[in-house]
Amino acid sequence: MFDLAPVRRVWIYFGKWENALRTGQNRGNDTMLIRHLFITTAAAALVAGGSALAEDTVKVGFVMSYSGWFEPIDASTIRGAMLAIDDINDAGGVLGRQIEVVSFDNRSEPALGADGAIDVIDQGAVAVLFPSDFDFGAPGAFIAQEAGVISLSGASDPNFGVQGIGPFAYSISNAAQSQGAILAEWAYNEMGWRSAYTLLDTTIAFTNSLCEAFDRRWSELAGDDALLGSDTFRNDDPTIAAQVTRINGLPEAPDAIMLCSYAPGGPSAIRQLRAAGLDQPVMTGESLDGDYWVGAVPGLSDFYVVNYGSYVGDDPNPDVNAFFARYAEVYDREPDVSYGIRGYSLFQAWARAAERAGSFDGAAVAAELDRFDNEPLAIGPTTFTPDLHIATTRPMTIMQAQDGEFSALGTYAPETVHLD
Amino acid sequence: MGSAFIPIMIDAFSVGGLYALTALGIGLIFSVMRLANFAHAEFVTVPAYALFVLSDHPVVVSISAAVLVAVVLALVTERAAFRPLRGIDPATMLIASFAVSMFIQRLLVFAFDSRIKPVNPLAVLDGSVALFGAQVNLLKLTTVITCLVLLIALTVFLKYTRFGLEMRAAAEDFTMSRLLGVRANRVIATAFVLSALLAAVVAVLFSAQTGFVHPRFGLQIVIIAFVATVIGGLGNLLGAAVGGFLVGVVSTLLQALLPPDLRPFREAFVFLLVILVLLFRPQGLFPARGLKERI
Repeated sequence: MFDLAPVRRVWIYFGKWENALRTGQNRGNDTMLIRHLFITTAAAALVAGGSALAEDTVKVGFVMSYSGWFEPIDASTIRGAMLAIDDINDAGGVLGRQIEVVSFDNRSEPALGADGAIDVIDQGAVAVLFPSDFDFGAPGAFIAQEAGVISLSGASDPNFGVQGIGPFAYSISNAAQSQGAILAEWAYNEMGWRSAYTLLDTTIAFTNSLCEAFDRRWSELAGDDALLGSDTFRNDDPTIAAQVTRINGLPEAPDAIMLCSYAPGGPSAIRQLRAAGLDQPVMTGESLDGDYWVGAVPGLSDFYVVNYGSYVGDDPNPDVNAFFARYAEVYDREPDVSYGIRGYSLFQAWARAAERAGSFDGAAVAAELDRFDNEPLAIGPTTFTPDLHIATTRPMTIMQAQDGEFSALGTYAPETVHLD
Repeated sequence: MGSAFIPIMIDAFSVGGLYALTALGIGLIFSVMRLANFAHAEFVTVPAYALFVLSDHPVVVSISAAVLVAVVLALVTERAAFRPLRGIDPATMLIASFAVSMFIQRLLVFAFDSRIKPVNPLAVLDGSVALFGAQVNLLKLTTVITCLVLLIALTVFLKYTRFGLEMRAAAEDFTMSRLLGVRANRVIATAFVLSALLAAVVAVLFSAQTGFVHPRFGLQIVIIAFVATVIGGLGNLLGAAVGGFLVGVVSTLLQALLPPDLRPFREAFVFLLVILVLLFRPQGLFPARGLKERI
């Protein structure tokens, strides 16, 4: 009758806590990830011939949110990254050395990322994975930059790169500006929509850049009059009643609504739009990727989101489907967002650059990463230049929800992306 | 304006009503024991999780369970966290309520993780009705009516029942009311139960609107309600209700009427009004008698 899993998890947590107190360790990491790390490390030790000398391994750091509210966002990135490291180690490692992970839990506190970076770099990490958000990743990435260590992230903000952090910071994502352009071009060219309305959640930088890019590209394509209006809200606004009533009062109903938001405010906004009888198509960027929230809007239809590949097994690219099938098998859970493939591709990229550089030195690896020209990675062709450490032209998958079910519509590359 | 007027007013009143109920829940406890109960956020969040856990059951069952869970939680926190601190500096109690709030929030993260969980307690209220020639969302209308009914019921309770009389006496002068035979434990427990009942109603109405619950679910509404109790007059129940209502109505109207460029700064305007109120009436709009400085 009752689902006892939550109770059990609390029980396990306190068990672990008690145990940690007794053994003097205190890090509330996810049990399975710890187990996974242990297995990876143990496997690395075995492959290295039983006598794991320090020179046989190379360390990378994970300074991620293993606990707290950001944990679900980072978890799939971590799992994807671990899959990449397993694959690389199985294939003989990087420059003949097995990868060993040292981890630090930032407990969903951005500032602790700096402590984490110091901690893992002290332990010898030559590259560090940071959370997929500029505000969360930046504190640690600045430390890594100063130490000459490569920072890897899925932050969709061009500032996580040369301009914002420095030449050793790389993001695997498509920039928010790229996602806004993809949606505008797709809506105009493929769907034939001619008028739009933007609803912007002003809380975080990503959604601001996303809507700005959409508005600009949309006006270029459809004309200035084709944007019937725009409105703003905050993610923690208990209601967007006034915004919804305003759309309902427009003299002409828009063909589509561009919503730039994230959970929990985003799903709440969609629910309120639908409850008020606004059944227009709703488009959004990667921040609302995933089907975990769809229960909040029963029978959600005409919803479109760009992401890094369909996690429900129908991506046009069979490699993407193979990746998520393997993710499901290894972790014994269905993927519910596309972020895992970012974690995988980050370490794929780093290992390839280190092999080519013949060194783990930050500057040498960065020089090789900057030579990536449509480098085929799991996430798709990836280009970095000495000035730009984030994807802008790479195609993304557009997912749709109809009757509460997600499926892939296809992949689309942007024609024109404005970064300024 | 014209046809948009009624929907906008219903929007404003439904938001204002939720804030008013929340502010009252906070005000009830503050008036009898001078505790600014920050854990009120969890009195809202936890019953909403009860709705999620029991979402496969009939609505009557899940809502009753949510109310029960809120009451039990309120009584347990009162007994375990606040009773041992009774009579101590209000600042200490405030910090204690922060601790309770954080503890329960973290517990929820461990039990359910921090992602949103779907709830739909009032699916029957999807849709709208015609009211004075405008289409009005049924859920919002229900919210407005429920808030009105509860406000009247609470007034009747406080004015015409023995418990109500005791609570008003305790709010005015706790020591004197004890000397006159009001039992401290009982009156405080009553305040917590009433506060929890209001929180459970807010949980049901608010989660029906958002469609989900998450560990910080109650916080977003309680923070605003705190501001409302302060401008209404800390310790005054009428003040709390009016303050909550005003904040909700004003912020909704600002969102509806401000020009687009100024809308992102809506909160700045709301808090500007709050500052003005406090400048001219530092004790709030309706100062509590028990809290006045007696020189």
